[in-house]
Amino acid sequence: MTLEFKNAYIKNSHTLIGRNEHKTQIKADTNLTDYYDNEKSVEQAEASFQRKTIENLIKKENLKYEDIDILMGGDLQSQIFASSFASRKFNIPFLGIYSACATFVQGLIQSANLLDNNVKNVILTTSAHNLASEKQFRFPIEYGALRKKVNTFTATGSVSAFITKTPSNVKIEYGTIGSVVDLGYNDANNFGACMAPSAAKVISEHLNDTKRKIDYYDIVLTGDLGIYGLNILKDYLKKEYKIEANNLVDAGSILFDKNELEKIAGGSGPICLPLILFGHILKENYKRILLVGTGSLHSKTSCNLGESIPSVSHVISLEVIK
Amino acid sequence: MKLEEYKKIVDKNSSKEDKFKNVFISFIIGGIMGVLCQAFCTFLNKEIGIKLEDASMYTTIMLIVVSSIFTGLGFFDKVVSFAKCGLIVPTTGFAHAMTSAAMDHKSEGIIKGIGSNMFKLAGSIIIYGIIIAFFLALIKGVI
Repeated sequence: MTLEFKNAYIKNSHTLIGRNEHKTQIKADTNLTDYYDNEKSVEQAEASFQRKTIENLIKKENLKYEDIDILMGGDLQSQIFASSFASRKFNIPFLGIYSACATFVQGLIQSANLLDNNVKNVILTTSAHNLASEKQFRFPIEYGALRKKVNTFTATGSVSAFITKTPSNVKIEYGTIGSVVDLGYNDANNFGACMAPSAAKVISEHLNDTKRKIDYYDIVLTGDLGIYGLNILKDYLKKEYKIEANNLVDAGSILFDKNELEKIAGGSGPICLPLILFGHILKENYKRILLVGTGSLHSKTSCNLGESIPSVSHVISLEVIK
Repeated sequence: MKLEEYKKIVDKNSSKEDKFKNVFISFIIGGIMGVLCQAFCTFLNKEIGIKLEDASMYTTIMLIVVSSIFTGLGFFDKVVSFAKCGLIVPTTGFAHAMTSAAMDHKSEGIIKGIGSNMFKLAGSIIIYGIIIAFFLALIKGVI
């Protein structure tokens, strides 16, 4: 399912990163050192991250709160705690969304779609907190559970983007909504392998619908497959869909430096993709960008029930006009 | 694509764990732990004059207290991720699992947070430990 958007532009963004991400190549607007951000718990800290990026973005744009039509947000916590609690301070109509690590791309599709109707602008927010995710999906924070090399590391931070009808440098062209894919793979340590099939499927659907070749894009940026997941995706694309992709880059695997990548497979979480997009890719000379948000739709209960891990991926194509 | 075929692609592209290295580290560290605890137990028994049975119990308690304090101080997780099963299998792992779970949920209050979540990792060890102990005692009684 591919939608074409006529009036959607990403005008501005505000990025915030935690202390583990300081050494990365991302140039963020806010660098935090405190994992708790003066809050009582890591969950509340994540909500505070989002609140800060939204406030700062509105300040940057010289707008008032009542100028914002819709606030859209999603995160990894149960009942999207961070987004809901961050937005309670603002008197802005709120839409909460969830598709795990593909949340940001889902948000872009929904925002762009709203802009084709009577909505003037949308603020799209997402966040992730390493400690909150560890606590919710894996083991207690201080437990120091054994990590496998294929494990990814949830990046900490938050990103808010201002999406508007007024033309600006980054145009949202097409959005392709992916379906939930489950080949029966069930290793909850290897998320790259869980998510690669859905990413491959939605990429091929997007290319079919838009009648484009993959080389049309300067860069195809996947969300958080990690270094191993990216190679799996390349192989799978070739075997299953006969697509040879040389412009694939994974946001998770370029988030951390090489020393870190000896221990982990890369960064993960819904903010990997927007952080790399706003903090790195849009500052380089890429013209045609394909974003592939990849989300693994498991929960702790589903894993305990012995279920395999379904995944969903969505695609957005951006055009940078200079 | 069938799952088997897909698993081949995954295996080809995923890094293998160095099992030998992991087992070796665990073996050495677990062994050192054993030696230290035996020394402590002998010390209590010979130098202070505590009965051998009591001395081994005190040694276990010492392990639990020390690892819980280390977990609370916030550096034991790094030690455990290096030492792996060398520290997870002994009582240290048990204490560490309880303390870390309690710390995680501290912000949710004493009853609903710490109280009900403290055993979420270690609860299985206790319940199945008791069940096995019951059957072993039964066997011992019969024989």
